[in-house]
Amino acid sequence: MNLRSVYSLAVVLTRSQIRGTQRNKFLARIFGEPRIILPVDIALLFGLGGLGYAILSASGMGGLLDLLKPIEPELLAGIPSAIMFMAILFGVLYEISQPIQSMNTDLVNWLPITPMEYVGASTISESYIYSFMVCLFLGVVLGPALALSMSSVWLAAAFMAVVALFAGATVVEVLDATTNRISSSFYKKSGRSGIIFRLIATVILLVFIQLLFSGYVVGYLLQSVMQAAISAWFIPVVWPTLAVLGVAQANLSNFLLFASFSVVFAVALFGLAARFRARFWVPVPVSIKLSTRAYQPRQIHIPLIGATESAMIQKDFRSLTRRREMARFLAIPFVLAISMGISLLPLSTQQTAEAPNFMFIAFLFIMPVAIFVGALSMTSIGQEGYAVWNLYAAPITPTQLLRAKLLFAAILGVPFAIALLSIFAVLLKTIGTYYGILLPVSFLVVLEVSALGVYFAALFPDFREMVRSRYVSVWGSLLGIGMALCVSLLTVAPLALSIFLYDSIIPQLAIVSFCIGLAVFIVALKMAHRQIQRLFRNIRT
Amino acid sequence: MEALRVDNVVKSFGGLMAVKGVSFSVEKNQILGLLGPNGSGKSTIMKTIVGIVKPDAGSITVQGINVAADPIGVKRIVGFVPESPRLYEFLSGIEYLDFVATVHGLSPDTKRERIMEFLKALDLEGRENELIHGYSQGMKQKLAIIAGLLHRPQILILDEPLNALDPRSARIVKDLIHRLSDDGVPTVFSTHVLEIADAICDRIVIMYDGRVLAEGNAEELRSKAGTAGSSLEEVFLKLTGTSDTREIVEALTR
Repeated sequence: MNLRSVYSLAVVLTRSQIRGTQRNKFLARIFGEPRIILPVDIALLFGLGGLGYAILSASGMGGLLDLLKPIEPELLAGIPSAIMFMAILFGVLYEISQPIQSMNTDLVNWLPITPMEYVGASTISESYIYSFMVCLFLGVVLGPALALSMSSVWLAAAFMAVVALFAGATVVEVLDATTNRISSSFYKKSGRSGIIFRLIATVILLVFIQLLFSGYVVGYLLQSVMQAAISAWFIPVVWPTLAVLGVAQANLSNFLLFASFSVVFAVALFGLAARFRARFWVPVPVSIKLSTRAYQPRQIHIPLIGATESAMIQKDFRSLTRRREMARFLAIPFVLAISMGISLLPLSTQQTAEAPNFMFIAFLFIMPVAIFVGALSMTSIGQEGYAVWNLYAAPITPTQLLRAKLLFAAILGVPFAIALLSIFAVLLKTIGTYYGILLPVSFLVVLEVSALGVYFAALFPDFREMVRSRYVSVWGSLLGIGMALCVSLLTVAPLALSIFLYDSIIPQLAIVSFCIGLAVFIVALKMAHRQIQRLFRNIRT
Repeated sequence: MEALRVDNVVKSFGGLMAVKGVSFSVEKNQILGLLGPNGSGKSTIMKTIVGIVKPDAGSITVQGINVAADPIGVKRIVGFVPESPRLYEFLSGIEYLDFVATVHGLSPDTKRERIMEFLKALDLEGRENELIHGYSQGMKQKLAIIAGLLHRPQILILDEPLNALDPRSARIVKDLIHRLSDDGVPTVFSTHVLEIADAICDRIVIMYDGRVLAEGNAEELRSKAGTAGSSLEEVFLKLTGTSDTREIVEALTR
């Protein structure tokens, strides 16, 4: 193994990953070099540690220290396993957010780099990039550890966390090499159904990751890992945790045993990853046959629009369901619906027959609809990527493009609104009275947000194809989502006012609500049309 | 009869002046070759003809239609193949061609007939149901060429169309260009392969640093360069002032 090659490649891979996600030129200049990670790590570790120690050392904090004393060893012991878990999740997430075009053009496929050198470089790079997680966790627990005189347990946790991070990074390499071969063979054989399967699997994974990072889950994870570790001592993933527990319980032999096991496990994983890379890596794109039937042109007719718009909508549906980097947009409704469902669960178990507050329900229902439709419409132009020249060079008018993009978002938004309101109705049985009002309002919101979203999509398109492409500039997405939420609330406001003043929906205020929605839709439509005209005049790619 | 007129076109990108007052015209039945080193402005001028890039100054008329006034009208009659075309890789070859044909307003019967004809001619038959992502560069180029020809354009704008094509397909495309030219469909195409330009172009425009350096048929260019009887490559190198390559090669092999 040529260590110089490993180092050079690790630097390149790190640069590729940190620059691939930088869009802002100013930030890219500051955070574009791998060396920036080290001071960030040090700042997190000692900054948080120092802050925690200072707070706990201040007078009157004895109560807090007493509270932390029993849980600090558990937290310290849980860190290594949690780090391994997160390194795997982040690594997999990075892999699935890469655009398909960048997958098979890796320099490493034709440079004289051995599989072991590649795995070494990639593991080092990933470990270094995600080292901030280790420093963040260790920084948070450093202050209490010092204040409670548990520095030896902290040092053991720090060592095991680094080992766990390395092991997690090698697991990603193993998964990468294996899935590359399995998916290549699978797609080749299964064709269209393989793509559908990949889509579903990716959406499930994204939903799982999103829900995992919903705040309190991380703390819960740390504690439950620790509790499960003792009974599951034979599982390698918990060995780092058991090693730290050994120190916490002053059992040095346990520490030495499980620490050695952990290191051997990490090294074995590394060897396995190198072997899998050598055996399974397929550097050429695989041919996926979608159909074996002879070509029979079918004209899909969507009422009120022409063949060109229908063809564009069909193309965008295929883009959404076949590009793995687009799967995150399909995951949005599921994440939102589950999150809303979790928020409503306490209400659903209440025995009181009292109807929940209309404003609260309207807010919980309209916001996800606006966010989903806004995300779809705002990215609808940028997602064309560098292939956007196909639209520019074709005889497509701005009106046709506007209609296609608007309808695409609306066609997906309407069923989502119906499904979400149905979930609300199941969870909150008393919502029945509002169902007939909220559903038409949501359709209006879908229309106005779609038009507004296309306006921002044309004003701030981002056609660059990179890891985690946004398809709309940062400012565009912030402004767009902000505006979408504002107009949605504005549309619902007269209805809320009606309930607030008269305890029921009065027709006059319902008409005001409808007029506001319609007016916003018409204005947004005109703005979007003018902006698409400008986009066609001053073509940007 | 003039099929294309490019009149004093200027285009800059930020501080870089890519095209500095370029003018030329193409007659019906004519094949015009655009030659020039990398960065000479060939691709930019081709994109301005199709209406993808808006010139800062000057005007372009295609078959009597002003590009600035009616860009959609021009796009309806132009067949365009860009350099290294990026296609929708999530579509299959047939889905992509179907999309392009639909946008050009072809009926289902015409679509089927023309698409199958082209696929067969360019050896893509049997691969049309595969995702474009798995295609080789040459297959993608063939697909882009088919997409540019499906709607029977009245003028062809081809930027390095023979890139990555196998010899048989390259020959078919060259013959097709000739045949279309005989039928009154002119072609503007850029290439770095000077033998191809010499063999198939009626007229050649040599561009250098955003300007037209010389214009004429191969013989006229030879006499302008004072290199009668020499190859077009020598003429090109002489006219662009890049003929002294010996020193560079020596430095590279030192």
